[in-house]
Amino acid sequence: MTAATVTAPGTAPAPRRAPLGRVLRSELRWVFRRPRTIIAIALLAITPIAIGVGTLFAEGGVNEQGESPMVSMAINNALALPIVSLGMMMVFLLPLVSSMSAADAIAGEAANGTLRGLMLAPVSRTRLLGVKAFGVAAVTLATTVLMAVIGLITGLLINGTNTMITLSGTTLSFGDAVGRIGFAVVWVTVQMLAVAAVALAVSTTTEHPMVVMAAVMGGLIVFGILGTISALDWLHPVLLSDSWESLPDLLRDPISWGGMGEGLIRAGCYIAIGYSLALARMSTKDG
Amino acid sequence: MTVSISTEHGVGAADAAPAPGSALAARTRGLRKTYGNTVAVDHLDLDVPEGAVLGMLGPNGSGKTTTIRMLLGLVRPTAGEVHLLGKQMPNAAPDVLPEVGALVEGPGFHPFLSGRENLRRLAALEPTLPSGRIATAIDEALERVGLASAANRRYRGYSLGMKQRLGLAAALLVPRRIVVLDEPTNGLDPAGTREVRNVIAGLQDSGTTVIVSSHLLAEVEATCTHVAVLHNGTAVAQGELAELLETGNAGLLVSTPDTTLAVDSLRDNRIPARAMPEGILVDLTTTTAPVVVETLVRAGVGVHEARRQRTGLEELFARLTDAEPDGAEPGALSEVDDLVDTPHEGEAR
Repeated sequence: MTAATVTAPGTAPAPRRAPLGRVLRSELRWVFRRPRTIIAIALLAITPIAIGVGTLFAEGGVNEQGESPMVSMAINNALALPIVSLGMMMVFLLPLVSSMSAADAIAGEAANGTLRGLMLAPVSRTRLLGVKAFGVAAVTLATTVLMAVIGLITGLLINGTNTMITLSGTTLSFGDAVGRIGFAVVWVTVQMLAVAAVALAVSTTTEHPMVVMAAVMGGLIVFGILGTISALDWLHPVLLSDSWESLPDLLRDPISWGGMGEGLIRAGCYIAIGYSLALARMSTKDG
Repeated sequence: MTVSISTEHGVGAADAAPAPGSALAARTRGLRKTYGNTVAVDHLDLDVPEGAVLGMLGPNGSGKTTTIRMLLGLVRPTAGEVHLLGKQMPNAAPDVLPEVGALVEGPGFHPFLSGRENLRRLAALEPTLPSGRIATAIDEALERVGLASAANRRYRGYSLGMKQRLGLAAALLVPRRIVVLDEPTNGLDPAGTREVRNVIAGLQDSGTTVIVSSHLLAEVEATCTHVAVLHNGTAVAQGELAELLETGNAGLLVSTPDTTLAVDSLRDNRIPARAMPEGILVDLTTTTAPVVVETLVRAGVGVHEARRQRTGLEELFARLTDAEPDGAEPGALSEVDDLVDTPHEGEAR
């Protein structure tokens, strides 16, 4: 075959893959140019404003009977608003963004006929999954960070800087409060990455992005129902969403880490399993 | 018929296959792919010499696209081997594919991005393209397929022909050793078809091996040096285009004013011949042209002109693929029949 290689246009041994930074930048460029990504992030980013303003008006009117303590806390608290917003949105809307992003990442590209182009470029299957996971993580992180920042600003505008009050009644320094909000962002993002890992695994099995969304959101609804049935207590440790109620623990002083720590372990398991399945399927997938 | 040509396949392959020095850009042995109970490709031994322009012909459902996808390592064969540029696919895909450009199963791009932006995305993934060269490479590729003026419009608004051109541009982003084009002229107007022909000719001049699948037999006849005819998932004929056309039933057209005497005198000498409007058609399977002319002259028949009758690719294709009913959709078959019947009738009249 030495004779065959003589006709090669380049004489130096050709590189086998494109620089990683260039590939990741290209993926980000694609992800953040997609209109639906921008719309979804924008809509979620304004939810803290809606919650903050909404509770502001509710304050003057009806008294707090029937309202959850979390919502009423947000009324006069710049620490609570971002964390409460994240806590409320992580039940349905944040998973929606992550699973939509994961659905577009592989199933959507396959439906478009563009996945083949990426494989032929070539990008190896493993690398492609890594790049896609990076893109999904970027969208998820962008959403949570933006929500937290806008929530914090809204809370400060409504209530001023001296209102970092915990559920336990203590007042935190501004730096401490921002630290806790930052932790909330990381924790929620990790939970959403667990959702995204499963969504990516589903995404490698189909050419229909709709199937991914339906499977993931359906699964979360089932988890939610199972989580309320006390006869199924033995099952609760494997339900990802079971630890999502522990986010408000960040508003206590001192913070009780138990629930959130458990949540991190649980999410880690989901991420490991999800990506393993996705990788196994990806390496045998027809292009 | 099919059988006789299939054995002839040795003729064409003989040039390409056995000598270890002569290089094959692509080679398959015993290739087979099944989807459930459906056999898409079976017992396929394909040889594509380096520098050749191979036209892959076959009715719809004959396994052309499946073969191409296996060549490119997109699909793992059920059985058999694929070698692309001397390396086994799909395992060597990362080594081989940077030097392979492909347009498979129609162009696939994102509707919300412009043509240029779509290409930029693919260019960023090209291992052999230095970052500094990306913008130039995209401009050149767009220019080459005649899409420069529409480069900044969204892909959503492209016509079928423009989409096809963008797909071609993606395959030509960097210099390639092999370019694989699946139905490249699909949806193109005559001018676009001519441009694709020029692009293929340009690739051939630069030593690039081209594998092109097509329904358009005239296209293949005009651009290809080699042909592989696929039918029901296997190659019923392959080799150099000229040689394959030779192996069709060879005939000699003799124009003469005295057709009856000519046919009689040939038949007396056990040479099959029949009268045609403009002369006689002599079957050359058992004899040669000089013998025929000599026989005619001896019998006192005036010969104005004698020339070899060329078997058209369409006729060859028809004989190879019409032999038995196949699983192709009826529309495609009748389309092929239409293409093929016309020359037959023309000759008979």
